[in-house]
Order: sequence, then structure tokens, then C-alpha cells
Amino acid sequence: MKTRLLAFGFLSPALIAVFFFFLLPVLLTVVFAFTNMSTSTGIMGGAYQINETQMGSLRDTEVSPESIEKLEGAGYLISEAGLAALAEEFGEDTAEELRDDYLGETFAARRDLERVLRNLDDPIRNTRDRKAAADLFVSTVIGERFDTAEDFRAALVETGIDPADHDLLTEFAYTGWTWTTANFSLLAELPSTMRYASNTAFYVVCTLTFNILFGLFLAISTFYLPGRLANTFRAIWFLPRILPPVLYVLMWNWFTWDRGFIATVAGWFGAPQQNWMLHTSTHAWTAVILINGFVGASLGMILFSSAIKAIPTSMLYASEVDGANRWQQVRYIILPQMRWPILFMTSYQTLSLLTSFEYILLATDGGPGRSTEVWALAAYHTALNNYGGNLQYGLGAAYALALVFIGIALSILYLRFFNFKELLSKPRIEQ
Amino acid sequence: MTGTPRIWPLVLILAIFSTPLVIMYLYQIIDSVASPDPGSLIPGELDLSNWRFLWERIDSGRPTIWQVTFNTFLFASTTAFLVTLLSTTAGYALSRLNMPGRPYFLGGLIILHAFPTITLIIAIFIILQALGLFDTLLGIILVKAALELPFGVWIMKGFYDTVPWEIEMAGVQDGASRFRVWWELVMPQVKPGLAALLIISFLSGWSEFVLPLVLAPGSSTQVLSTFMNAVIQDDATADFGLFKAIGMYYSIPVIVIYLIFQKQLMNIYGGGTKG
Amino acid sequence: MELRLEKFTKAFGPVTVIQDMDLTVGSGEMMALLGPSGCGKSTTLFAICGIHKMTGGRLYFGDRDVTSVPAQQRSVGVVFQNYALYPHMTAEQNIGFPLKVMRQPKAEIAKEVQRLADLVQIGDLLDRRPAQLSGGQQQRVALARAMIRKPDVLLLDEPLANLDAKLRLEMRAEIRRIQRETGITAILVTHDQVEAMSMCDRIALMRDGKIVQLDTPERMYADPASQFVAGFLGNPPISFLPARAGEQLAIGQSQVLPRPAGLEVQGDIVLGIRPEHFGPQHGQGLHGEVIFVEPQGREELVDVQLDGGGILRAILPTGDPVKLGDRVNWGVSGGNILAFSTEGVRL
Repeated sequence: MKTRLLAFGFLSPALIAVFFFFLLPVLLTVVFAFTNMSTSTGIMGGAYQINETQMGSLRDTEVSPESIEKLEGAGYLISEAGLAALAEEFGEDTAEELRDDYLGETFAARRDLERVLRNLDDPIRNTRDRKAAADLFVSTVIGERFDTAEDFRAALVETGIDPADHDLLTEFAYTGWTWTTANFSLLAELPSTMRYASNTAFYVVCTLTFNILFGLFLAISTFYLPGRLANTFRAIWFLPRILPPVLYVLMWNWFTWDRGFIATVAGWFGAPQQNWMLHTSTHAWTAVILINGFVGASLGMILFSSAIKAIPTSMLYASEVDGANRWQQVRYIILPQMRWPILFMTSYQTLSLLTSFEYILLATDGGPGRSTEVWALAAYHTALNNYGGNLQYGLGAAYALALVFIGIALSILYLRFFNFKELLSKPRIEQ
Repeated sequence: MTGTPRIWPLVLILAIFSTPLVIMYLYQIIDSVASPDPGSLIPGELDLSNWRFLWERIDSGRPTIWQVTFNTFLFASTTAFLVTLLSTTAGYALSRLNMPGRPYFLGGLIILHAFPTITLIIAIFIILQALGLFDTLLGIILVKAALELPFGVWIMKGFYDTVPWEIEMAGVQDGASRFRVWWELVMPQVKPGLAALLIISFLSGWSEFVLPLVLAPGSSTQVLSTFMNAVIQDDATADFGLFKAIGMYYSIPVIVIYLIFQKQLMNIYGGGTKG
Repeated sequence: MELRLEKFTKAFGPVTVIQDMDLTVGSGEMMALLGPSGCGKSTTLFAICGIHKMTGGRLYFGDRDVTSVPAQQRSVGVVFQNYALYPHMTAEQNIGFPLKVMRQPKAEIAKEVQRLADLVQIGDLLDRRPAQLSGGQQQRVALARAMIRKPDVLLLDEPLANLDAKLRLEMRAEIRRIQRETGITAILVTHDQVEAMSMCDRIALMRDGKIVQLDTPERMYADPASQFVAGFLGNPPISFLPARAGEQLAIGQSQVLPRPAGLEVQGDIVLGIRPEHFGPQHGQGLHGEVIFVEPQGREELVDVQLDGGGILRAILPTGDPVKLGDRVNWGVSGGNILAFSTEGVRL
């Protein structure tokens, strides 16, 4: 019992972290994908408000022109609520006088109401006070912010707008996000969806192939090189793996951009100055695949090297005694032993290439002209960073949802790489 | 394997592939202290002006490099500390303690370990805004630590798994509680694991780019990666000398750790772990 | 202190490993749990020390029922096969750890550690770490650590398995000496019958989760309850010979032995004949050919292929002129023939 408490005590901080930053986000990605959340709707739900600038678009809706006119025309209304507020601030007498003479009357402009206030027997003399007093009687809903739908409807009632239009107006005035499946229909319609998908497939297949083949080549070749030479090459190829991505891509930018290495060398032979990374989409793809490929090959080299090291040397010696040459040794001894590491690397890299966009973002940012925009980068651009400024969280989440599903499916597949039975062997102390 | 007859073709192929990288490394260093003339690759005279970001602001809108460095260090070290702390306890519980639902926790751990967390960033972005942690160091520290956690727990569990059961059994027989056995008898055996995890998560935090970019875009929470990226993005003239000097400065801890722990790092990354 | 297991049952999930086992170890007695691997002897040990929970049955130390007492409060000292010393502590800290857990004053701990170190004769090695100690020395440290709490029961789990042959002989005697000197109740788990016979007062021979015989080493050797027991004890091992009981015992197709007194069955049986009970010193009786000679220094082992089928092993003093291929006619000590049914039950 005590051990159980200890176990949960030890585990719970990690569980809390996992809940907040894994389970909840997975759930919320699903939820957000079904909303129209964006910068303009905010994320916390919204209020009810119709602004001057929206009047134009309001005319395009089915709200009747009379209602719209009322909405615009309604200015200042001497209501009991306003009088009560006035009494509180400027005295019972002023309010009483106003009630007797003007209750129920409306004024189109504030100026008119202010004149009335000045001409009372007990006038409000200070200009600023008059302004404040007039504001107490504002009855228009335009520019006004209402926290709940009830408040908004109450205000509509006061302006005397046809109740038939109330529902439409309330819906129109809502500034927060709403539930919708529009994101998915939009994804289905947009031609860019297919392009991002095929870009992603192309990117993953090419980079993965490069990673595995070149990683294997690095691991096997350094295995056969004498110690110091092998270590030098390993050091060169280990660095991409641990250098910060921003710096690593900067070096590539220098290598390929218009005043960088390739441009300079090509310039000696009379080639025009150009950005060799972003010049054409072929160049961009080459750069993207090499940048990611070198990092992946770096990881592959490390993984495969340790797998080769695990092959018993007696096996290699035996094959040499049997007269196998190097190529045969690689083909018949080393490669068969690498089946699991290769499979592991393939599944693992597939997942990470599908979903990571860090290096592409830093190198081409999807360019030129979105030709290297992959799915994950599209999700990022839609929801977190675009030039329009209106970040579409809902649509971005719909993009991400596809990746989340693929991610969950592949990670469950990944479970098979582990000897789960052995993993589950019971703790040997039974308390 | 030594004394091979035809080693040179191999070396040649390797060298050809390695050339771009070597050139990049070389000019990364050269360009930071000496800017060659345009159209030439021969280093000019020694020129430290690229390092001016150390003693003056590159432009008025940016925080000082020291503020940014401090942020980065705080971010990386706190993250590393949190990850290590939580992994140390959770890894032990999963490795050694009896509890209901243990198979599910273990299965979940492996799935999380493989799961590409970056896909969750949109939801995390909104969660942080709702929690009021958006654009704070604390926010990205929590997120980064949580996302690194499955990896850390997995590593620590691996280290605990190698400690002989008999040591724990002996401790229990000697009258010590399970907590005391863990703290006094098992922990000293996994110290190398702790150090490794601390270093790896520090490096990972130090290099992190996307999380601060998305979750803490303000200038007061800038870290070196986003600082450097902003400098590159905003500079119309592509002043690579300046970029590279900042890059050099940025990568110093990485290079130092790499030089000291090269072997250990290769071993750990080679253990089939996440990266 | 007397140790008593009553109807002990242990199951791992759906698999029941031990069913209703009873065992009593007398106060100050040293008992061996002997058996092949997988027989349940280690499971029994883990249940006694509290690392495993008992699925059923009760465990008593003296009159105290400790069935559900956690391992920490059981007062059991354990020596593990790989010693399980704490690698980061010196020998002194290792031995003193149980007392430190009990919050004893430092001076008291130091005194006790010295006393135990003297008992196991490692007084001058106390400041070394386990990695700096030889296997035998580690063993002594482990023993001292197990004993320092003055436990009710001392459990030894294959304590000699990791030692080389010479050290094993030495530690065998050492452990027995320390057990006798302290008078502690002890249980030795081993798969090595020589260890069990040479160190223990009584042996519980286990097979498939059951105790098949519980007896003193001498009686178990001379009077085994089954063919399995007879075969497990004795080095070189006993020879088994199919026979047919009639007027006489028919061996193979052509030879006979006189029927031992007291044997009442007829038909197919199995005879067990130990090497020392077959040879020229027992006169004549069985013809055969020497097919194998293995010199062992002081004595040599000789396998004889009997005419008409069957192989018997003899042990002869070195210097006996027998050679491979010799024809021999050797006798069997009639009173020492063991007879078993074909199912292996002693007759």
C-alpha cells in the first residue's frame, strides 16, 4: 500500500505534465478543428457588438432595411434606466424634471440631448458633465459592447426593431468563435491541399531515402576506416545533429545564397549572381532535402554505427577466414544484422519528417512561391504565422488534426519495436 | 579492421560528401572574425566588428545580448532541471514499483516517446493564452519540459533497469523503506544517467527554436535562437559576418559540451533514442 | 528461533508454483533447500524473507505470525548469490547500513561493525569498496551485513555459486563455522548436492514445487525416498539398472543377482546401485567389459557394460590395474541395492 502511494507520488508530476501538454492538446486540436477560431474571434468566447464599419456588410444579410435604419437612427432615448442613473449622479431633481418633460422621447444626435440638458430649470452647466449625462441615455446598439446575448436582445427591444430580425442580428453581432465544419470542407475544396499533401509525400520519401542510404554508407564506411580517420569523419557528421538548427541552416544559407559560397565560386566562371537556394523550385527542393538529409544521415550514422559495433567481431573474423571480401561481408554479415535498426529508423524518421517543419521554415519558409510548403508548415503558417495577420487557429487545427491522427497511428505501430512482454515483467519486489 | 588494400576510394567518396560541411564549418569560423571582399573567398584582415553585438545593441528595438543569453540559459537549465527531476522519479516508479495500471503507463510512455509533439503546438499555443502564460519564459519552460519528458522518463527507466534487483532486495532486507532504498542505494548507481539526461536536455533547450518562436514572440522573452533568427530576418543586407559571429557565440556551449562528452553523447544518441 | 511454513502456496498470475508446502526449521538448525533450477526453492526463500507475498498459507518465526509483515520488519538476514553489496559504499558502510537504518548511535554502529568484521575475518578491509574486494571477501562482507541486525533467520541464496572451486571449499567451512558459532537458524538455497550435504543439518529436496524428501544428509543418501532423490544425491552419481524381479533379479538377458531381503514385488523394477557398492571388493557376480576409465587422482571411475545389457559404474582406488576393454567379473554389495518401481517410487 505504501509502495503504491510512493509509486503514484513519483509518477504524478509527470502525469500532470503529460495531461496538460499531451492529452489536453490532442483533445483540443480535435475541438479547435471544428471551430472558426481566429485572431478576430479570440479564443475565450466573445461578446455582442456591431460596429459602424460593419453596417455595410449588415446590408448584405437578410435583415430588413427598416431594422437597419432603426439601428442607425436610434440615438438617445430618455428611459427609466437612464433617469435612475442620472438621479444617482446629478441629483433627484434634475432627473425628475427630465422625466416629466421628456420621458420616452428620442434624440438623433447627442447635441440635441445636450441642449435639453443645458436648458433645464436645473441645468447641468459643465460641458463635460453634460456629455457624461447624455451618454447615460444612449440607446443605440451600434458600437456598444454587450457581454451576453440577453443584454444585446434587451437593447434591441429598446430600439424598437422588428423582433423578427432579432435572431439574425444577434448572430451577426457575435464576435466570438462558433462551431463549424467549414474547415474540413474548405480543405477539401482548396487546390493547395492536394499540393501540400503531395509536397509532403515527395519530401518525406526523398529525405528518408537519403537519410537511410547515406546514414548506412557513413556507418559502414567509417567502420572500415582506421581509427583516427573514422573519428574525423564521424565528428564532421555528428555536428549537424547537435548544432542549433538556426545556426545550421544559417550555414546553408551562406553556402547557397546570392553572396555565398556557391554564388562566389560560380561567379568566377561567369555565372550570374543568384540565390542558389531559392532560384527555382528544383533548387529549393534540393536544398531542403539536403539540409534535412544531412541531419538525418547524422542520426542514422550514430544509430547504425552502434548497431554495427554490437555485431560480434568473431562473426566478422569468421567471414574473413571464410574468404569473404569486404563487399560480401557487408552484404551477408552486416546488412542482415541491420534490419531492425533500419526499420526503427525508417518508422521513426517518417514520423518526425512528416511533422517537423523547423528546418524548412528556416531555410526556404515554403518558398519560392509555396513550392516547398509541406503539410506541417502549412498548419504553422495558417494558424501561427501568416502575412495577413489574421491567424486562423481553427483551420490550422484542422491541418494539424490530420498529422495528429497519423502520429498516433504510427506511434502505436512503433510499440511493436519493443519486446513488450519483457517490458511488462513484474517488479520483483512484491510490496 | 586495419590494413585494407583499397581504402582510398572510400576515403575519397567520404571526403567529397563531407566537403560542403567542412567548408561551412571553416567559413563559419573565418567569416566571424574576418570578412572577405565580395566575390572572394580569401579571408581579409582580422576584423572584430562582427562581434559588436556583444558591447552594443545592433539596433535600438532589440534587447541586449546579455538579456537574451540570460533568458536562454534560464530556459535551457530550468527545463533540463525539471525534466531530470520528474524523469528521475517517474522512471523509477515505472521501472521498479508495483502499481495498478502499470502496463498502460508503459505502453503510453512508448507511444508518447514516438509521438510527434510538434503537431500539438497550435493547441498548446491556445492553452498557454488561456492560462495567461503566453509570451512568458515560464510558459515555454513548462511546455518544453513536458514535451521532453517522455524521452527523459524512457532514458531514466533504462538506467534504472540496469541496477541489479538484488541491491534493492538487500536494502529492503536491511530494513530500509522503498523511498530510502531509492534515494540512498539506487540513485547513486544511476548518477551517470542523471548527468547524461541533464546534458542532453540542456542542449535540447539551448537549441530549441520553434517553441520560443511561437509561444514567446515578445522581445523580453527572446532566446538566442529567436534573437538570431530575428536579426537574420530583419537585415536586408544579409550581413553574414554578423550572423556568423552571433552563431559562433550562440554555439559555444554546444561545442564545449560536444568536445568534452563526444563519446558519451554518441552512445546515448546511438541507443535508439529520440532526437 | 524456529521457523515454520504452513500450507505455503505461491502463484504468479495463473501459474501456481508451490502448493500447500509445509516446512519446519528447528531453532539453530541449518536447513538446505535443494533442487534443480525451477523447483521453487528460490521462490520459497523470497517468500520467507518477504520480497514475495505468499498467495496462501502462514509463516511463523517462533510464535510470531509474520505472514503479512513487510520485509523491512521481519528480521531476516539474506546473503544473495551476487552478494548485492552497495557499490558506492565501503565495506564498513555496507555492514553498518542496517544499523544506520535503525538509527543506532554512530559509536554503537562502529563497535558492532568491528565485531562482525572480526567474526567473518575481514577486519583490515573495512575501508575498501566492493570493487576492490575479491569474491570471497565480498561474500564475507555480505555475510556480516546480513548478520549485524542479529536476525531471527539467516537466508543464503546460492552463496557459493559465484566463487571458484578452491574458495568454494573454504567458504563452505566458513559459513558453517559462523552459523554454528552464532547459533542462528539458517536456510541454504542451492542446486549443488555437495554443498547441501556438507553444510547442512537437514536437507529438503524439492522438485516441481514440492518437497520430495526431508531428512538428514546421511539418511537421504542411504535411504532415498525415490529414484529422483537417489539420482540427485551422490557424486559420482548412482547407476540405474532395469531388472525383472522373480525368484532372482534378472539383469538384461543373461545375468542375475540374488534377490535382496525384504523386496516383495514381482515384475519390472529399477535397481539403483551406487559406485562404491559395485567392484572387485564385493566379490564376483556380474560379467562385463570396461568401456570407460576416468582417473580422478585419489580414485578412478570405471564404467562397465554388462553382458546382456545395462551399464554400472564403479569407483576404485587409483593403482588398480583395470584398463579400457578389460573383461571383468565384479560383485555388488547385496545389502545396499536400492529398488524402485518403474515409476520411480522406492520399494
